[in-house]
Amino acid sequence: MGTFIQLVIDGLSTGSIYAALALAIVLVNQATGLINFAQGGMAVLSAYIAWQLTQWSVPLILAILISIVVSFGIGAFVERFLIRKFEGGDPDTAVVVTIGLLTLITGICAWIWSYNNELFPSLFPLETITIAGAVISLRSLGTIIVIVAIMGLLQLLFLGTKLGLALRAVAINPQSAAFSGMPVGRLLMVGWGLAAALGAVAGALVAPQLTLTPGMMDGALVYALAAVIIGGLTSPIGVVIAAWLIGVLENLAAVYVPFIGYDLRIAVPFLLLFVVLIVRPQGLFGRKTVVRV
Amino acid sequence: MATATAFLRTPWVRWVGILLIVALAIVLPLILPEFANTTIARIGVFAVAVLGLNVVMGYTGQVSLGQIFFLGLGAYVTAYGVQQDWNIALVFVLACLIPAVAGLLVALAAARLGGLAIAMVTIALPIVGVPLAKRLSDVTGGSQGVSARFSDAPEWTGLYDDQWQLYIVLLIGGIAFLLTRNLVRGKYGRAFAIVKGNEAVAASMGISPYRYKVLAFTVASLLGGVSGFLYMVVIQYTSPETLSFGHSITLVASMVIGGAGSILGSLLGGAYYVLTPQLTNLIDPGLTAVLQGAILLLVLFVLPGGLVSLPRLWRRRRHGRSGGGAAAARAAASTAGVPSTGAPDGADVSTHPPTESERRQDT
Repeated sequence: MGTFIQLVIDGLSTGSIYAALALAIVLVNQATGLINFAQGGMAVLSAYIAWQLTQWSVPLILAILISIVVSFGIGAFVERFLIRKFEGGDPDTAVVVTIGLLTLITGICAWIWSYNNELFPSLFPLETITIAGAVISLRSLGTIIVIVAIMGLLQLLFLGTKLGLALRAVAINPQSAAFSGMPVGRLLMVGWGLAAALGAVAGALVAPQLTLTPGMMDGALVYALAAVIIGGLTSPIGVVIAAWLIGVLENLAAVYVPFIGYDLRIAVPFLLLFVVLIVRPQGLFGRKTVVRV
Repeated sequence: MATATAFLRTPWVRWVGILLIVALAIVLPLILPEFANTTIARIGVFAVAVLGLNVVMGYTGQVSLGQIFFLGLGAYVTAYGVQQDWNIALVFVLACLIPAVAGLLVALAAARLGGLAIAMVTIALPIVGVPLAKRLSDVTGGSQGVSARFSDAPEWTGLYDDQWQLYIVLLIGGIAFLLTRNLVRGKYGRAFAIVKGNEAVAASMGISPYRYKVLAFTVASLLGGVSGFLYMVVIQYTSPETLSFGHSITLVASMVIGGAGSILGSLLGGAYYVLTPQLTNLIDPGLTAVLQGAILLLVLFVLPGGLVSLPRLWRRRRHGRSGGGAAAARAAASTAGVPSTGAPDGADVSTHPPTESERRQDT
């Protein structure tokens, strides 16, 4: 029983990291209607920036905060000068642009910091506590708490502020928003910036666990995309629940299903995904979209 | 210029052109140095993979990030078959069929979701494929990979290995290109184009987007399997590294840079896939990924139709009709595969009799 609880808590912790990335993907998708495949790469860049700052002996928490702010700027910059040209055009082209961006950012990280693994200090102490026979690391608990707090803040931003209202208006119908005098372009930049900042949080939380490399987030991106499909593209809460579900299930499968083990557990979300797609193509919490000719 | 294209379209000029290409394909491997032969053969291998990607992405408009998985699967099937001493024709058929069935199963689930779902699902294929290939080490040889030598030149031909391998690639690759060209220019190609243009319109016309997306994806996987077989012909060795995520992305980049929805663009894409790493390594090995990403973004910005649209763009500039700008160039490039539809000369229609009769059957 102790192992089981421990696996569930650890699963929730890794699931939280996927959730952060998945939320960033949903945020961008809701605002611009495209899937940003570079989201993981941008998170890696943020983590490298934070790591570089700690190397210059900036305190860790401050370094992470700076990297979040810088990432916001990078996200807004990328939207303004790269994505803007392809928005509203062929969505496939826009997706290929984000794939090009992923290659470019991964390449830049590798060029500046090389492919060597770097140790990223953990934000939380590595101690463990024992609850009901389960040994639980404070890092897992901390990660979960941070992500839940961010989710709450995002919810507050979207539902309780004028900026959130404007962002939602742009997401639902950019043309109407523009006609009613909203600065759509600037709001899209803010949307991308927020997504990048969210990615930076995910990067800082995942880096201590995986050690920092340019390809660190490739796996997490895949999990996040799976969570996005399973949860449904239109539902932020559904996406977070799906990410937790994936995190827990893959952890359990790695231990209790011998064939899967640690290395093949990345297949778990996709088995789940196939089942969900066949039963509910719009995702567990998604809305069915109606198309009109 | 109109007279020049009319001249190019007369049947006998066409036949002479085809004969010339065939003659070149027979003679060139004999006179080129070994390095050139292997490079051309490699280009052929990846051109077939890019061609497959083009069927699903360029012609049907479904982003697939998993094409390399089918190449790897075809390569592993080939390697396994050769090691078991199966008949090579059987190995080839299996190397085509097994990836095609795998692709069918993936598409059946992924195509249920519209839009970018295929992209999001297919990204998993290489990422799950690598640990899977390592795990199934009895078949795949684990991390060490597996090699299979079956494409050495037979005694009686008196050829060098590289010449023999290039002939195999030219023959199989040529057939794959020819069949695919016929597919995308015929009835199915038109259905693909409508699905790409607007799925709702396609559905209202009685063309099931789901069916055609699944079909396109299956054809793409089959072509991936063919290129996997050719990969083993030329490179004779495969490992989990063959189907890594980075290669899959480079394949997508190659297709876009060569030209989406274009047969010739697939060839150019294959050339890009093989040649750019060699060139960027010359500049600075550390910069390879940066340059590849930058090239892809640059092409998307200035040449959205890919390299294949370059002559068209240039001609338009020269004639001073550049009104439409990039969007027009893109539209021109996407229809570049079927320039002859609605052409005024009757000779052209007569060269496609099956297409015409099929169209009648359709309506």
